[in-house]
Amino acid sequence: MIFLLAWRNIWRNKMRSIVIMLSIALGLFAGIAVLALYKGMMKSRVRTVIDAETGHIQLHNILFKNDFDPKYIIDDKENPLEKIRNIPEVKLAAPRTITQGMLATATGSSGVQINGVIPGLEYEASLLKRKIVEGRAFDESRKNEIMIGKKLARKMKLRPGSKLVLTFTDTTGTIVSAAFRIAAIYQSDNAPLDERNVYVTMSDLNTLLNLGGEFHEIVVLLKNDESLIAVQQELKKEFPLYQVESWKEISPETDLMVKTTDLYSYIIMIIIMFALAFGIINTMLMAILERTREIGMMAALGTTRIRIFLMVLMETIFLTLAGTPAGILVGWVVIFYYGRHGLDLSGMGREMMSSFGFGTMVYPEFPVEKLGGVMLIVTATAILSSLFPAIKTIRLQPVEALRR
Amino acid sequence: MNKTVVDTHNVSKVYNPETIPVYAINNVHLHIERGEFTALVGPSGSGKTTLLNLIGGLDKPDKGSIIIDGTDITRLQAGSLISFRLKNIGFVFQSFNLIPVLTARENVEFILLLQGISKEERNNRVAQLFRQIGLEDKMDTRPAQLSGGQQQRVAVARALASKPKFVLADEPTANLDSISAANLLDIMALLNKEENMTFLFSTHDQRVIERARRVITLVDGRIAADTATVDTNIPHELEGNK
Repeated sequence: MIFLLAWRNIWRNKMRSIVIMLSIALGLFAGIAVLALYKGMMKSRVRTVIDAETGHIQLHNILFKNDFDPKYIIDDKENPLEKIRNIPEVKLAAPRTITQGMLATATGSSGVQINGVIPGLEYEASLLKRKIVEGRAFDESRKNEIMIGKKLARKMKLRPGSKLVLTFTDTTGTIVSAAFRIAAIYQSDNAPLDERNVYVTMSDLNTLLNLGGEFHEIVVLLKNDESLIAVQQELKKEFPLYQVESWKEISPETDLMVKTTDLYSYIIMIIIMFALAFGIINTMLMAILERTREIGMMAALGTTRIRIFLMVLMETIFLTLAGTPAGILVGWVVIFYYGRHGLDLSGMGREMMSSFGFGTMVYPEFPVEKLGGVMLIVTATAILSSLFPAIKTIRLQPVEALRR
Repeated sequence: MNKTVVDTHNVSKVYNPETIPVYAINNVHLHIERGEFTALVGPSGSGKTTLLNLIGGLDKPDKGSIIIDGTDITRLQAGSLISFRLKNIGFVFQSFNLIPVLTARENVEFILLLQGISKEERNNRVAQLFRQIGLEDKMDTRPAQLSGGQQQRVAVARALASKPKFVLADEPTANLDSISAANLLDIMALLNKEENMTFLFSTHDQRVIERARRVITLVDGRIAADTATVDTNIPHELEGNK
């Protein structure tokens, strides 16, 4: 009967109840939208890191990353590329020759990481060809071509066809300089990386570094993300003398961002619910003040305080939970739409987004795995919001309540 | 079963005891036996409602004891008092105080549910009560669709649902027209006769006073007069009550 009473009580003032349910639905929608947006952004960031920056796994000579000395190579004699490509979960394994150097023009210079790549493989490994915004892909019939990032090009006032000089030390420690001509300017979703990384062909760089078929890095792309740990373990066993790192170790800031985003999105959700809680408390207090006499009568007739407390608690929970399906449904519909068509955030500025490593097109994803947490927050909000009105109710003395 | 239903000894209720004490009830001794049909009368502010609240366990006296069917309710803890009220005392209020979101039947059944009575027993009891108040056809109607008189009859049924030791009615006819008031009094008189139910009313209404077999007059919180009257409390025909 208390259950029935609570349910009917919330429909006494339909407009008020509908308004509070809509507020709850809207709050929940906002919370879900934030979670979905963050999930979409993080997924896109992780995708960018894997598909366009680091790959799933990278292998280096164990000493190479200490100071990027080009003499610490991966020896091709063991044929590691073939061994890696033979692992069924591996989609692609591409070699890179890497050295740190100085890019100079007539007007200035900048420190860069020079990546010597096999164009055909690199276009798949880091989607380099897709990132070209000016110029053209490498022409393998031409020597000493280079691709530089848009941010660096702007800083150094360079454009396709411009000449520049790269200076670095070779494997023997001798300083080497060579002139390169810009084939293309690329732009990724990570402006700081664009400013730092330049790409030349591996054959050109290996010649300058005094290397034969050796290289410094193998970037591995997997067929699916889930096999990351298994393949990493397998590679560690296979190549105990190499440093085998996953993208999480290579780009720990991204991994941290993914982990902390969950926390941030819950904090935002809690802030939304906190604001909503005051709306619920206000509504429930009004509803109770209107019924003081009736509640006094119930107490006078012999309704225990716990039953009255439960009635108010249930009314609040009903109000909150009635708004929940609407919020989830609207959230799902909106997220489904934008998940398919993408949410264009270019209004916020591509430069700004890419400086944080994000693209401007975000595909929000419905946070199914977080629905439990969301429901828990909503229910906790409902229960906590009901406590104050419910406690106020049970403190009513029947004799005083009946006088009102 | 005790013959005495209500026994108050030296009961006083004082407001503002530390500043200017106002004695709402002052040393009241009252003895009500089973089956009485008693009216508590007096001018406004004489303490009628306060005395009913004290006897009903809704308020605590500052002095004295109130013994209901052998239990001193002034010594009961809050939880026990709620349970005691539920089982032993029926209340009828001036403004009916039915729960508007429940139907007439549910309002009566509510008390039985609080007592944990089985569905079958509840159905029988509710049907019997609605027969007695002559509102069998209004059982599934919400209070807002009932007239004032009908609502007060449902309130009487609710008061009687738990088969209490006695019913306290605070100005039960104050908000009723004369026909409804007469009907209500007929029903209560009938229940008093047939079930030997004890009624204690506070009232200003001469129609109620005329039907009471005992009239207690309160003035300034004291019993100024306590008179037994000739038994004129013969229920009229209940037809036309609906």
